Amino acid sequence: MSYQRMWKTPKSGGRSASDESAESYYGVPPIHKPHWKWLIIAYFYLGGISGLSYVIAELAEVTGDATNRVITRAGRYVSLGTLLPCPVLLILDLGRPERFLNMLRIVKLRSPMSVGTWVLVIFSGFCTRSVVAQAARDELWNRFKCAPHGIKAIQSRWMGVAGVPFGFLLGGYTGVLLAATAVPLWTKNALLMGPLFLASAASNATASITLVLCLSKAPHRALVRLERLEMCSLVVELGLLALNRRQLGQTIGRPLREGSTGRLYRFGVQGTGIAAPLMLTVAPMLAGMRPSRWRLALSSLLTLSGGFMFRYVMVIAGHRSADDPQATFELARRGSQESTGSVTDVNVHPVAPS
Amino acid sequence: MTAQPEDLATHAPVGFLTDTTLCIGCKACEVACKQWNSLPMDNVGFTASSYDNTRDLGATTWRHVAFVEQFPGNERPTTMPPFQSNWLMMSDICKHCVNPPCMQACPTGAIVISRFGTVVIQQDVCNGCGYCVPACPFGVPELSPLDNKAHKCTFCYDRLESGLEPACAKACPTDSIQFGYTDELALRARGRVDELRERGVEGAYVYGDQNAGGTGGIGGLRVSFILSAPSERYNLPAEPELPQRKSVPNYLSTLVASVAFGAMMTICLRK
Ligand code: SF4
Ligand code: SF4
Repeated sequence: MSYQRMWKTPKSGGRSASDESAESYYGVPPIHKPHWKWLIIAYFYLGGISGLSYVIAELAEVTGDATNRVITRAGRYVSLGTLLPCPVLLILDLGRPERFLNMLRIVKLRSPMSVGTWVLVIFSGFCTRSVVAQAARDELWNRFKCAPHGIKAIQSRWMGVAGVPFGFLLGGYTGVLLAATAVPLWTKNALLMGPLFLASAASNATASITLVLCLSKAPHRALVRLERLEMCSLVVELGLLALNRRQLGQTIGRPLREGSTGRLYRFGVQGTGIAAPLMLTVAPMLAGMRPSRWRLALSSLLTLSGGFMFRYVMVIAGHRSADDPQATFELARRGSQESTGSVTDVNVHPVAPS
Repeated sequence: MTAQPEDLATHAPVGFLTDTTLCIGCKACEVACKQWNSLPMDNVGFTASSYDNTRDLGATTWRHVAFVEQFPGNERPTTMPPFQSNWLMMSDICKHCVNPPCMQACPTGAIVISRFGTVVIQQDVCNGCGYCVPACPFGVPELSPLDNKAHKCTFCYDRLESGLEPACAKACPTDSIQFGYTDELALRARGRVDELRERGVEGAYVYGDQNAGGTGGIGGLRVSFILSAPSERYNLPAEPELPQRKSVPNYLSTLVASVAFGAMMTICLRK
């Protein structure tokens, strides 16, 4: 066979072999990073929006008044629109796309990826039901003269609510999936990963619905409610992000502070994606101004771009932390006893020099 | 190893004991593995300043001999330790975990524990999702660019079926790689560590052993190593952990967050 496994010899000018072998095994990463790139980043993004748009739409339906009808309507269509590319992205990302059905040969609660696949399948059913019901309400079927029989049977709003847990799971399981790996940046704060992805999905879904309503002629009262929701989710997201970064510590959190991912995290995720839309929302609200469509549309766009950058930074910073031997070593020094593993505090010579 | 062919599956799980104090870095195991499993050649080049030219484990490298040069006190050594001069050599391999993280991760069920107690990726099931790759705390499986499926050591499944020991153990000229039943090997490892300590290798221990940090949640390694320096020197994490250990609490925290967000949405979407 012609294939050769290739790598680049790291160039570390001026460093001696003793330096290289003192801190790690010549800088070779002790774990392998995943191959996930753009397809998965896009999937995380769209799946989150789809799941939480559905949740917002159905909760608006059962808890609200007539004003919420526009929110429900937009949420349901946004949910389907963002859901459709998801399976395609996932399948294309497989090494052997023709074998994607192997995912469905078992249900494995231990594997977040298996859980996620099934959540996607079940959620698709709920999402389709909602959109069919919505289309009936919008009298779309009459226009196509193909009103499906039995639409009445699925009109119940409680069927929509039954899908809400799956919508939440679709938004949050991606964090659980990343946390169930050996990648230090993802697994260090395992408990925070699910809520973090959920919070980002919530603010992105709110932003997409707001955007749609801004571009159509929705009543102001609906926009006010969405704006409130947007502000709350952004505040929660900001808090979770700050907590996450603090808990990561110096070594493992390095990719979120330094280099291109660090810059993108600071200015893109936090600045453009959260601080800017918050300012655009809070300042006029304090001044007692009515929401303007263009301001709302702008802040929604900023939130949506921030959500994408968040997924990108989390995935790529994960790769960087997997490539950093110090991060992996630190993660595995749980320090219940003085471990035989640490290179820093144990005499490396097997024999005491005489 | 003296096991009879028919014994291999019916007795306790099989495994390796890799006594790194005996390893001379000849790479016979690497070559035997490549030959028996028809694996293509790797890049020819050195890993930084080391004599290691296979770098790490991967889709086509299922044995990897690490070469660690020792500089006690960061100076040129002037004393000779009882084993391995001032080089540490270790033949690394898939640890064939008792409760394998890679198997827990796999969404297709391609990764199974064989009837010999070894961990095998079924190539006709794997769809190349790549989730096992970052799930392994030892960096073992990898997607091969040749067929886009995950590969790793099979513990010579085909040879075990015929009652033969794996090719690497067969080829090892110093018996640094010892094949056997894991309960016997554990006893042997303990005895050998005591012996090494008597002979002056004070830092000797069994990697993955409960006394040396254990393997949180992984439940032990069928392939154990006798090391004489901190495990990080050999690129092994000090106290590896089962990453999926955190999944249930993580789902719970996501559930709590969901309830909180649901409440928040309901309140915000009211009048
Ligand atoms: S060492 Fe890695 S690849 Fe081998 S069984 Fe354990 S988790 Fe799986
Ligand atoms: S790449 Fe193959 S073996 Fe690895 S988790 Fe995916 S399906 Fe399982």
